[in-house]
Amino acid sequence: MLIILTVATMSKLGKIFRSWRVLLLLFFLVCAIIAIRPSPGNDGVVIRSVLDNSSAALAGIQSPKPSGPLGYEHITSIDDSEIETLEDYVRATESLQPGNTVRIVTDTAAYVLDVPNIGINETVNLGLKVAPAATSNLRKGLDIAGGSRVLLKPQEEVTDQDMIIIIESLTQRLNVYGLSDVVIRDATDLSGAQFISIEIAGVTEDEVRDVVARQGKFEAKISNDTVFVGGNKDVSYVCRTAECSGLDPQRGCGQIDSETWSCGFFFSISLSPEAAQRQAEATKKLSVVAEGGQRYLDHPLELYLDDKLVDTLNIAADLKGQAATSIQISGAGAGRTQQEAAQDALDGMKRLQTILITGSLPVKLSIEKMDTISPLLGEQFLRNIVLVGFISLAAIGLVVVLRYRTPKVVVPMMLMLVAEVILTLGFAAVVGWNLDIASMAGIIITIGTAVDHLIVITDETLRGAGSDDWNKKMKFAMFIVFGAYATDFAGMIPLWFAGAGLLKGFAFTSIVGISFGVIIARPAYAAILKLLYEE
Amino acid sequence: MFKEKVIHFYDKNYKKLLILPMLLLVLSIAQIAYQVYSTGDFINKGTSLKGGSVISISTETDVAVIREFLDERFPGQGINVRSITDTGRQIGVTIDTPAQTDEEITPILAALRERVQFGDDDITVEITGSSLGSSFFRQTFTALIIAFILMSLVVFLYFRMFVPSIAVVLAGFSDLVETVAIFNLTGYELSTAGIAAFLMLIGYFVDANILLTSRVLKRREGTFLDRFKGAFTTGMTMITATFAAVIAALIFTNSPVVREIMVILSIGLVVDVINTWVQNAAILRIYLEKDSTHKDAHHSHGGHHE
Repeated sequence: MLIILTVATMSKLGKIFRSWRVLLLLFFLVCAIIAIRPSPGNDGVVIRSVLDNSSAALAGIQSPKPSGPLGYEHITSIDDSEIETLEDYVRATESLQPGNTVRIVTDTAAYVLDVPNIGINETVNLGLKVAPAATSNLRKGLDIAGGSRVLLKPQEEVTDQDMIIIIESLTQRLNVYGLSDVVIRDATDLSGAQFISIEIAGVTEDEVRDVVARQGKFEAKISNDTVFVGGNKDVSYVCRTAECSGLDPQRGCGQIDSETWSCGFFFSISLSPEAAQRQAEATKKLSVVAEGGQRYLDHPLELYLDDKLVDTLNIAADLKGQAATSIQISGAGAGRTQQEAAQDALDGMKRLQTILITGSLPVKLSIEKMDTISPLLGEQFLRNIVLVGFISLAAIGLVVVLRYRTPKVVVPMMLMLVAEVILTLGFAAVVGWNLDIASMAGIIITIGTAVDHLIVITDETLRGAGSDDWNKKMKFAMFIVFGAYATDFAGMIPLWFAGAGLLKGFAFTSIVGISFGVIIARPAYAAILKLLYEE
Repeated sequence: MFKEKVIHFYDKNYKKLLILPMLLLVLSIAQIAYQVYSTGDFINKGTSLKGGSVISISTETDVAVIREFLDERFPGQGINVRSITDTGRQIGVTIDTPAQTDEEITPILAALRERVQFGDDDITVEITGSSLGSSFFRQTFTALIIAFILMSLVVFLYFRMFVPSIAVVLAGFSDLVETVAIFNLTGYELSTAGIAAFLMLIGYFVDANILLTSRVLKRREGTFLDRFKGAFTTGMTMITATFAAVIAALIFTNSPVVREIMVILSIGLVVDVINTWVQNAAILRIYLEKDSTHKDAHHSHGGHHE
């Protein structure tokens, strides 16, 4: 008796795996898993970005342009000590001595880096940004992985062309700060308002956010005539190496009063021939004055940043009427201690250099939203969401067990719920979607409608009164499912466009999830039920 | 036996039971009117919709200690401290402040550093400008209304019958209004994620209502009550399963975002039971009975003519 039953079940199982709907589902599941590429053993530390002109960059380490989260270069050892965790990396780099070299071995190459000299109150900075390796091809959204998000709004309407210029300039500015792991895109909302969204992975220094929001209109004026402005049209080169930039040795640091210190910085730039010519024209008209044994022109070179005077430079008398292309820019920083003042001066210098390199943005931008998200809190939320997901699935399981009391319904139903989550995640991996908390909410709604629809399919086909015709009952069940699907779908469309894209993740995963569910998984479930119950 | 009695009671009194959803709708509208009158907004808006900053710190320093400390340091500034808990244990705190610029937030962060130990990796700061907050709210609210209209259109196209489609739309409208009113009473504040929850709610009510409408309209076997009972069993299984999942999530989540979503969903699911299975079912039944008497009358009239 038992044997006969088993044989019957076996042959039914065989039939199930020959049903084209089930095969289609399995095919998509396999594709999804390949796309997700779960790699639980992929631990270690990877290089997320390389700072320009840093020891790392000079040693030949390239800033990564990975094809996916699994595509980053792994650091395997530093000076023969193995690197397996972020703590290992921190420990290995903390003990480095300036002036020595360090050997970093990765899974693709080995590099020898010079350990750079360190400034006041600084730790060794090799110019590498590292992160724990990803364990799958799924991209974590910023609110889970941690990082900074800045939402900027142009103060006036900008054309598409200007928007491209803004995005390019911002990208370049962030690159100056060694941040290549950055997503900058424009966004709009339903009323047509324009936004620029910047997402920077990992912990970011405050001044980076400061530099992106600035319009950065730099002007150098002599007696109100503009001589040159920021950007590569007038400024052909900006020195950022130690030989021609840094704290100003002549001005040095000094205490202004009991609570304020001030430090000067300098860096040299090269002007284009046209700008140099403009300077020659402007200085030609000036007269020479003598001051403290040195001879200057009677009007200084005034540097304006966003219409604010930032520094005034005396022009040496021998430059009068000369088309000099090399110019030294200077400025100062202040702070409560000498160290703070020095840091402030260096930050200010970097900001000015960045602006001189990238030029001004076509319009002023205002900061609408600025988030700095802790990777630790994000990680805790993610782990908790996964846990909650499993518990919720178990709760659903309990309800369907109580209602249907047969594994023939409960097992395929629960498998389908899991399958729909995998399909949604798989699609997210294929298109490189960043899974943020809003996307997780979208997955929850997918599971929610999946439960509803699977129950409808079960009741319509198993308990549907009247007709014994399976196809007819199935058709009716799918009528309900498709009606609900079309309505849900219509409801998600406006959300895609609303609110500067902040809820796009929700719209994306719920549309994708419900679509895969309705088109692939739920019909497969119906097919399985039919084969299990049909006489 | 009891079940029979309930069904019998329902069968006799389904029109009178309509009072229940109507009363609920009227009370909800009254609550919302009061909310608008007293606060100027129809829903309790949180920091991400009003503008301000939310600071979350991973810390075990007790939430009450931090609250007292900040109250003392920044009195009367509307700083609000909540705890983030994971299975009953505090893993962090969330601080809502009206500060919108770096200059305003820096002193708060500096003060926090005096009292709480945390590193750069342990802190999340989310700053929303008030113009973005309010435009975001307006936008998503508009999106919600457009979504609602689109969904109504789909329902009309799907059933091609005026009264049943209007009944579905009315049930959805009541769901949203009543959920907003009850949400206001809970004292929770709505954030951007909460708006997503309202959309999810539309998804769920659509499932239940389309099930009910399809069953009673498209199937013609048995009496209305038979068809209703069948749909009701299915609908209850659906809602119990979803409700179980929502309650489980509500208990085990540590994320304020997820908690807010689940609170809204649980309210919505409960009011949806009333709006779908009491209100919409009664409207459909009245409609079908009118329709059949109309058809019968028409038929007999035709017969007479011959």
